[in-house]
Amino acid sequence: MATTAERPAAALEQASTAARRRRRRRAARHRQLVALAFMSPWIIGFCAFYVYPMISSLYFSFTKYDILSQPKWVGLANYRFMFTSDPLFWVAIRNTLWIIAIMVPLQVLFGIVTATVLTRIKRGLPFYRTVFFLPTMVPLVAAALGFIYILNPAGPVNRVLGVLHLPEPLWFVDPRWTKPGLTLIGLWGIGQVMIIFLASLLDVPRQLYEAAELEGARPWQQFRYVTLPMISPVIFFSVLIGMIQGFQYFTQAFVVSKAGDRTNEVGYPQDSLLFYTSRLYQQGFEGFHMGYAAAMSWVMFVVIMACTVGLIRTSRRWVHYQGGFR
Amino acid sequence: MRRRLIGLLALALLAAACTAGGGGSDKPAATVDPNANHAPLTLTVWSDFSARELGVVTAGLKMATQKYPWMTVKHVGSKNDQDIQRAVNGGTPPDVAISFTPDNAARYCDTGAWQDLNPYLQSSKVDKAKVWPEGVFSYTSFEGKQCALPMLTDAYGLYYNTDLLKKHGISAPPKTTAELADMAKKLTEYNPDGSIKVAGFMPLVGFYGSTTANTLSHAYGAKWYDENLKPTLTSDPNWTKMFTWQKAMVDAVGYDKLQRFAAKLGGANSEFSAQNGFETGKIAMMMDGEWRNAFIEGDKSKVNYATAPFPVDPDQPGLYGSGQIGGTIGGVPKGVKHPAESWLLLQFMTTDNTYLTTIAHGLKNVPSTFESLKDQQLQNDPRFKPFLDVFANQQSTFKPITPIGQTDTDLMNTFTQKWQAGKVPDLQAGLKQVEDQIAKQLQLG
Amino acid sequence: MSATTAAGAAARARRPVPPEIRRRRLLLSVANHSVAIALSIAFLLPFLFILATSLMTNQQALSPNIWPHPFVWSNYKTVFESFPFVRYTLNTVTYAGLATVGVLLSCVPVAYALSRLQWRGRQAAFILVLSTLMLPPQVTIVPLYVIFVRLGWIGSLKPLIIPLFFGDAFTIFLLRQFFMTIPQELSDAARVDGASELQILLRVIVPLAKPALAAVALFQFLYSWNDFFSPLLYAGNNPDSWTLAVALQQFTTLSRGVLWNLQMAASLLFMLPVIVIFFFAQKVFVEGVTLTGVKG
Repeated sequence: MATTAERPAAALEQASTAARRRRRRRAARHRQLVALAFMSPWIIGFCAFYVYPMISSLYFSFTKYDILSQPKWVGLANYRFMFTSDPLFWVAIRNTLWIIAIMVPLQVLFGIVTATVLTRIKRGLPFYRTVFFLPTMVPLVAAALGFIYILNPAGPVNRVLGVLHLPEPLWFVDPRWTKPGLTLIGLWGIGQVMIIFLASLLDVPRQLYEAAELEGARPWQQFRYVTLPMISPVIFFSVLIGMIQGFQYFTQAFVVSKAGDRTNEVGYPQDSLLFYTSRLYQQGFEGFHMGYAAAMSWVMFVVIMACTVGLIRTSRRWVHYQGGFR
Repeated sequence: MRRRLIGLLALALLAAACTAGGGGSDKPAATVDPNANHAPLTLTVWSDFSARELGVVTAGLKMATQKYPWMTVKHVGSKNDQDIQRAVNGGTPPDVAISFTPDNAARYCDTGAWQDLNPYLQSSKVDKAKVWPEGVFSYTSFEGKQCALPMLTDAYGLYYNTDLLKKHGISAPPKTTAELADMAKKLTEYNPDGSIKVAGFMPLVGFYGSTTANTLSHAYGAKWYDENLKPTLTSDPNWTKMFTWQKAMVDAVGYDKLQRFAAKLGGANSEFSAQNGFETGKIAMMMDGEWRNAFIEGDKSKVNYATAPFPVDPDQPGLYGSGQIGGTIGGVPKGVKHPAESWLLLQFMTTDNTYLTTIAHGLKNVPSTFESLKDQQLQNDPRFKPFLDVFANQQSTFKPITPIGQTDTDLMNTFTQKWQAGKVPDLQAGLKQVEDQIAKQLQLG
Repeated sequence: MSATTAAGAAARARRPVPPEIRRRRLLLSVANHSVAIALSIAFLLPFLFILATSLMTNQQALSPNIWPHPFVWSNYKTVFESFPFVRYTLNTVTYAGLATVGVLLSCVPVAYALSRLQWRGRQAAFILVLSTLMLPPQVTIVPLYVIFVRLGWIGSLKPLIIPLFFGDAFTIFLLRQFFMTIPQELSDAARVDGASELQILLRVIVPLAKPALAAVALFQFLYSWNDFFSPLLYAGNNPDSWTLAVALQQFTTLSRGVLWNLQMAASLLFMLPVIVIFFFAQKVFVEGVTLTGVKG
């Protein structure tokens, strides 16, 4: 039975709990504000440089706009033109698919191969690692120009090929060899991918290899059943990044096309180097069809999203995570 | 004080003219009285000239200061059409723009990127028809808007190495395309390993910029569009004739051999260097513009050469003496800070006889005004005269200009590259495809 | 290393190694090294070709000679004379330097909020940050270009630098991952002592995060140094604002007759600062790259 002495105590307790709750709420709000204050640079940037431009570009994609005059609403005309009338749209798609289906896998493969070579080196590892990584330091423009010279039909590589009595392709002048030429540039800069694979390969626990060897597995089988699954997260990561970058491939193609003669069309020779972003640049910033360029960019965004989601979905089947988080 | 008043008045008039609604292309525009005092002003001119040619034009532009002491001209070279367009879009255009690509004039007129000069011409009391030959208007105006004026012009013809011709027993340059093909074969010399040592003629498109499907089309009088701006690549049989002739010349030597020869010459980029194939005696006959005379002199090339009109279709001998004409154009971009002064400078650059003849001598370009065409020095140069005649020939034209600018020539160039490499089994189908592509791109505008 | 393998290795070390196995191991080692050497040559050769060409005369550059005679060291001087190399370098250093500063200043607080503060919407915000990584820049370039035109920033480097003072998704991601590895106890202890979040960030977290900050700074500097597309787009029409990447590409098209020897000399000069930085900061690079990849 509550005495007069206890009732004020209970009331005091209630009061202090309420006060505590109020204090907690105020503290939470204070924390929220502090967090938002810390986030503020990004919030401003996100709204100004992402949200607003995205909405704006979606709007532009339904207009005919050349900056000099006001945008003119044309509805779906840009999209219709893109899929049915643009003479070079499908060429650009085919070329971009080449990058994603051929160049990216080759790069991932070469990254694994070079990393594997390095895992077997016991002496002088830092030297080799530096040498392999060095080309990634080279700016893309310089690398492209360097390779344009090296792969010149009358240049050093062809001279060496000639001495060895091998066929001398015309490289960046022959549309069949331009994309392989670009692949060479891509493989030369494999260092960054290689380092990631190297770390991952070294991370594979030795017990697994020893267990496999005890069961009689040959080196190739060890690679397939031990190494590959263990490095699959890195493979997934490399393929994902490679794919996203592949859709945006531009600089090397632009430099190579224009290096022979500035008046060359983007994509020279014979549109073999006309990638999706090249076409976008051509229409948007050379032809000044800004609305059309915006439409192209949105199609690209949707496709990249779809491919990313698709890749992530399929990854569940073949990517094996050690920690099991995802 | 009076200077500022005049300036303010000009500005007020200009503001009134601008804000009084668009489309007033018959209303006179504000101009600067050339004889009045004026506050010192520096005007910037952008062009695509470089190296020697840049120096010639810059020196010529100093004459503007002699005529208008208050005006200083800053000339910036190596600015192509995209650079100029981007500057216009960005709101920071040069005061006067010069372009080598009249193909884009239609787009400039259409979008207003270059201002319509008719009001200025009226205010300055310039009678277009009395100053410039009819031919120049086809590549400087579009649908009634005169957004550019020619600053000198070009004509294409045949250059031939007289030593090499004599060596192979040829006394006169070819007059028909069939003769050219024959002589090209005779004049081509090979190395022991089968590669080309000297080319009789370089039929490859995509090598030097003077040899394109477009420039070659004049040899057959092939027409790009009809009056409704519909492409006529398949309906005009002359295109088929031209392409067949061009490919035959490529196949006579071999596409691969020609590409390697081109690479050894230094590729397309060597066109304007001292390593130019014709200038170093590695190409016997070449189609090129009249400016090549100046380059040969400037590069101190030792080639012994002569010039003539380019050979034409044997079935159309009347075409002989004509060729592609049209070249450098100048205009006042939209959004310039001093439109009246810009116009004064442009007027000087396109009509002042002393200026035009001086740079015509320096660049060896064809003069563009009736007055400057009379210049004796150019008329008496036997290697330059053929080009003046080509310009005067009534059948010489520029390619019809469209709002898609160079896109049609770009599409045509890509097709020609495939065609000469042997990738197009059916010429008619291929041409039809290019036609469709051009028509479709015209839709986008 | 587990006990079994340690014991096994010790056991193996006690037994003498039979000569065939030693020979096999030697052959394997030679084979591995030969492959590594072959690859090294392949990776280094382009550098050598570029260097060799940069020292040739222009005639020689396209001739069958691979070795320059004579050695034209003056090519490097000519590069400085024929185009305002110093100004382009200054532009590039300004861009890369300010970009790095901006990224560090803006991303550190953001990464801190995303990793060490509890607040409503944190998870959603992180997903949004990641989503901007997936966004191809092409989607936003057209409107951004128009915005910058209206602001009058086209032709300068402002469109490149200023947005980086408002965060960069990649940097935020990297820093967040790293901040999450710092034990909570350190922050809690400071909080108990009455420190504000800002003080915790500056006095506790930042000093511990120096390797990550160094890696991030290096990545951003490098990325900006090599950047081509954005400078081309926003500053392309004003040669006074060109960075080295743009200038180099335009240089090809400038003199209407590529001077390969000068082109290669200019390219080497462009690459040099970055390679020098790399040699001095190798460890930071490798660690930083590993930070991005392995943690997925």
